[in-house]
Amino acid sequence: MRIKSPKDFWAGLMFIGTGLFFLIWAYAYYQMGTAVRMGPAYFPFVLGGLLAFLGLLVFIEGFALESTGEPLQLPFSFLDLVIAVAIFAVLIYLSTKAGISSDYGMLAASLVVSVLTVLYRPNAKALVLISVGCIAYGYVMKPLGLVAATAALVFISAFGGHEFKWKEVSILFVVLMVFSYLVFVKGLTLPFPMWPAAWS
Amino acid sequence: MELFHNLILGFGVAISPINLLYCLIGVLLGTLIGVLPGVGPVATIAMLLPITFNLNPVSALIMLAGIYYGAQYGGSTTAILVNIPGESSSVVTCLDGYQMARQGRAGPALAIAAIGSFFAGCVATLLIAVAAPPLAELALKFGPSEYFSLMVFGLIAATVLARGSLIKAIAMVVFGLLLGLVGTDVNSGVLRFTFGIPELSDGIGFVVVAMGMFGTAEIISNLDLKDKREVFLSKVTHLYPTKDDLKRSWASILRGTALGSCLGILPGGGALLASFGAYTLEKKVSSHPEQFGKGAIEGVAGPESANNAGAQTSFIPMLTLGIPGNAVMALMIGALMIQGIAPGPQVMNEKPELFWGLIASMWVGNLMLVVLNLPMIGMWVKLLTVPYRYLFPSILVFMAIGVFSLSNNPFDVLIMAVFGVLGYICVKLECEPAPMILGFILGPLMEENLRRAMLLSRGDPFVFFQKPISLGFMVASAVLLVIVALPAIRAKREEAFVEEPK
Repeated sequence: MRIKSPKDFWAGLMFIGTGLFFLIWAYAYYQMGTAVRMGPAYFPFVLGGLLAFLGLLVFIEGFALESTGEPLQLPFSFLDLVIAVAIFAVLIYLSTKAGISSDYGMLAASLVVSVLTVLYRPNAKALVLISVGCIAYGYVMKPLGLVAATAALVFISAFGGHEFKWKEVSILFVVLMVFSYLVFVKGLTLPFPMWPAAWS
Repeated sequence: MELFHNLILGFGVAISPINLLYCLIGVLLGTLIGVLPGVGPVATIAMLLPITFNLNPVSALIMLAGIYYGAQYGGSTTAILVNIPGESSSVVTCLDGYQMARQGRAGPALAIAAIGSFFAGCVATLLIAVAAPPLAELALKFGPSEYFSLMVFGLIAATVLARGSLIKAIAMVVFGLLLGLVGTDVNSGVLRFTFGIPELSDGIGFVVVAMGMFGTAEIISNLDLKDKREVFLSKVTHLYPTKDDLKRSWASILRGTALGSCLGILPGGGALLASFGAYTLEKKVSSHPEQFGKGAIEGVAGPESANNAGAQTSFIPMLTLGIPGNAVMALMIGALMIQGIAPGPQVMNEKPELFWGLIASMWVGNLMLVVLNLPMIGMWVKLLTVPYRYLFPSILVFMAIGVFSLSNNPFDVLIMAVFGVLGYICVKLECEPAPMILGFILGPLMEENLRRAMLLSRGDPFVFFQKPISLGFMVASAVLLVIVALPAIRAKREEAFVEEPK
């Protein structure tokens, strides 16, 4: 049998997996209760089953349908996704083992995944660099302050775009920095540190 | 005249200087993001939600509402002048609007779009004022079983009206419902699906999910496409439409307004569906359908009136029932909750100044849009020449600041990035994110009402079919599902969404 619609095939698998996960997890860890007094497991158990069933329908449609439209084009494979998640898991685990904050493990993993992406999966550059830019923003903010965090986000995400010119991006960074400072820190008085905590 | 009295109260609130200011900010911001392709009202409102925390509730809602209907005005400008839908609801405006611009009639096209939108806005405002109070009155009688059935109906309607595969849309709703359950179970206090992460004990933040699914995911998808925007700017001369233009378009404006208002009220409706529906309708009733796609002014007047009417009437279920019909309304509910106001029929009685102020502000905002926008078209068009490589890092910075400031916790930004990736995958798999967001916000409410209804009925699931109102919603849901499953209608539904610009 041939997969006629890979989009339905993968979407179906995703729904089946998610549905079964919620169903099994709810059944294993929370109380089911009765229909009159529903326990915490009841609703997720039913919904998980429903999702898995719907996923199965979509999955079957993926075989039955005549091929529809263009094929699925993801810039990464399922294996890439597993590897990326594994890198995060290992580095976060290692950083807590080493006695430093898991935040640094998160940053290190982001960096490793970005470098690997740029080297081996150039098509997934936008996806990974934009996500990593956001993560870096969050985890750089606490220890290093708003200026460093904004720089990280602007430069990393801009690198995920089609063209990257140092001069342009630097100007953009300065403009955004000034704007963030005036509007959010001065105007709305959000309590962000501007500079690294160690400096003050 | 109670209506009259209420409207006066509303206008009193809406024209106070501070609210006028926020209304102006809202509509300007809305027009801005409407003009810019790739930034939608959902992402913008999500970005601003954390900031509204510091405002008073009326001003916050007035501003956010202004963004939504302002975006409908802005979207048409881009569609007509550059053949790019600045907003998804302006996709059909490209068909005839751009052709008019190429024939040197950009001015009349823009003017008709603005006039149609303004007229539709006025009618929709009045409609909300008339229809909302009786609906809210009815809703006050709702018990848990009625609410549960209503939510089932809303979610099913949302999937029926979504694009693409029906089963996938329902699956996305269920997926959203499940994600909404993450966090502390209110009845038992048990932490569900938190995996030992303390940040998840309050559940996944709605803003964070919305920003990821609609914000970062959208930017990533846009970057996947090559930047192929060419700005063809015809000089906009003589703005005023001719007598013939007006004669041809007034009926279209009326039809568009009527259709848009109806589709807006339906759960899952709103601006997008209204504009598609109106274009199809105009083509059907026209005596010269061959002109459509070649610059027929009816093809601009109808959809542009409809999308504005739909954008505004979609506030009705949100304001009266506390049930969001689309993603923007879900964010509005989020804004109410941030302010500590439980959305629902009681809002109208407990906070009349909020309710009527918001409604009156919509009329004021529409007036501002007409007065301000036509002279400012030149400026908006200049914005289009800003390349996307400057825009997207800026959008990201604002989103990141917004999300981070929710609780000063990097974890929120991480979750946003995760949902960005998920949203991107969903788009690639042709699974619509909008139904998921609806499910996500309704998940806890649905479980709560289901539990209560079952407790009251001593575990008898037929309670949903015994009370008349509840039965009505259940029957309506079933009918909707059956209708959509019919092959003939299915083909029509797919056809209605593929009116792509050439």
